[in-house]
Amino acid sequence: MRAVRALSAYRGELSKLASLPSVWAACLVGVVVPAGVAIINARSTSVDAGFQELAFGVVGVIVLGVVAASSEYFVDGEDNGRQITTSLTVVPSRTRFLLAKIAAVTTVATALAVVAAVITLLLIGQAAGLSRMFGAVVYWVLTALLAFGMTLLTRNGIIPLALLILNTSVVTVTFLLAKITTLAVYFPDMAGIRMFITEVDLPVRLSPVAGGAVMAAWVVALLVAGFATFRRRDA
Amino acid sequence: MLKIDRLTKRRGSALILSDVSFEARRGRVTGFLGPNGAGKSSTLRILLGLDHPTSGTALVDGVRFAALRDPLAKVGAVLDGSGAHRSRTGRAHLNWVAAAGGIPRRRVDEVLELVELSGAARKRVGGYSLGMGRRLALAAALLGDPEALVLDEPINGLDPEGIRWIRTFLRERAAAGHTVLLSSHLMGELSETVDDVVIINRGRVVAQGTLAEITGARRNLEDAFFALTSGSGR
Repeated sequence: MRAVRALSAYRGELSKLASLPSVWAACLVGVVVPAGVAIINARSTSVDAGFQELAFGVVGVIVLGVVAASSEYFVDGEDNGRQITTSLTVVPSRTRFLLAKIAAVTTVATALAVVAAVITLLLIGQAAGLSRMFGAVVYWVLTALLAFGMTLLTRNGIIPLALLILNTSVVTVTFLLAKITTLAVYFPDMAGIRMFITEVDLPVRLSPVAGGAVMAAWVVALLVAGFATFRRRDA
Repeated sequence: MLKIDRLTKRRGSALILSDVSFEARRGRVTGFLGPNGAGKSSTLRILLGLDHPTSGTALVDGVRFAALRDPLAKVGAVLDGSGAHRSRTGRAHLNWVAAAGGIPRRRVDEVLELVELSGAARKRVGGYSLGMGRRLALAAALLGDPEALVLDEPINGLDPEGIRWIRTFLRERAAAGHTVLLSSHLMGELSETVDDVVIINRGRVVAQGTLAEITGARRNLEDAFFALTSGSGR
C-alpha cells in the first residue's frame, strides 16, 4: 500500500513535468546546445572534445530542476492559487511528495543527459570510455537536483536560475574564485566537472570519484536543508 | 466528520486564530462565515494540512489530513483560484492529479463533464476566466468522489448561473449523505444553501448553530451576521 502510494506520487510528478512547456524547452536546450557547440568545434582534437560541450549543455537540466520546484509556487494574478495547495491535498505526506519529485527530476535529467551525451559524443567522434560518459550523466543529474534544492529554499525560480545559468554560460564565477582561493575548487560545479573533464586549469587535483563525491555532498546538504524547511513551513 | 478542535494560530506576533472549535457533519452543508481576514482560509488550510497550527487539532474522521490513507476519496478541497499552473491545459492538470492520487484516467472525462468544462479541457489554464478556474478546481476535488468537500469562497468569481449551479450541486452532495464545509463572506448568497452556520470574526468563533438558531428573531442570516460581527468586535 505504501509502495503503491509512492508510485502514484511519482507518476503524478512525471506527468506534471511532461505537461509543462518549459520542461520541453529545457529538454530541447539540453540537446541542442551541446550538439550545436560540438558541430562548431568539430575539428577540436582536445581529449575533452565533446565533454566540454556537455559541461555547457547543463543549462537544460538547470531549467528542469528550477521549474520542477518553482512551478509549484508560481502565482498568476492575485486571485489565483498556487499549485502547491493542490499537490499537497493530493499527496499530503510532504516527505513522500518531495521524494517523488526528486525521483521524477532524476528520471527526466538522466534520460536527457544520456540522449545529449550520445548525440554530442557521436557528432564529435569522441571515442572516450563509458565511465567518462557516465560521469557526464551524473554531473547533469546532480546539477538538476542542485537547481531543484536551491529553488525549494527560495520558492522562486528567478534567483537560482540567474545564478546557475550565468555561472555556466557567461562568467564562471566559481572558476574565477578558484584563481583567488583554492577552496573554490570545492564548489559543486568545479568539483563535479572532474567526473568527465580531464584537462582543468585548477589549483587542486581531484579524482573523478572525489569530485563527484564533493558535488554529491553539496546536493545532499541542499536537499536536506530544503526538506527541513519545506516540512516546517506553511505551504 | 470534520472536527476542528481548539485551533490557535500565531504568525509572528499576530494572532490569526484563537481557540476555534466546530464540526461539520455528514449530510449537512456547513457554512463557515466571516468577513475577509477573519481566519476562514487559515482554518481550512490547517484542516487540509497546508499550514501548521500553533496549537489545537483539525481531524478528518479522527485522523489528521496528512495521515489519511486515501485523501482524494475522503476530502476534496477547493481553495483559492484554480490551483493549477497556467501553462498546462485543464485536462493535463486533472491528469496529473489523477495519476498522483491513483485514480483511473477515465474519471478525468467524467469530472470535466460534471463541471461543464469539457469544451475547454484542451485550453491552457492561463486562458481561463476566474469562474472556469474555479470549476477546474472543483473538478480536481471531485476526482476521488470524496466523502467530504471543503470549499474556500466557492461562489467568488462565479456568474449568477454558476452560483445557482454550485448551490444545487452542494445541496445534492449533502442530500446524498456527504459532508460539505464551505467558507464565505457573502451571507445573502448562502442562506438557502447552508444547514449549519459557524460565524468567525477576528480569529474567534462568535456564534454557531443551525441556520434557524443563528438567524433567530432577525430577518435573515445577513442581519444576524452583522449584528454578531459589528459593534462588539474588538
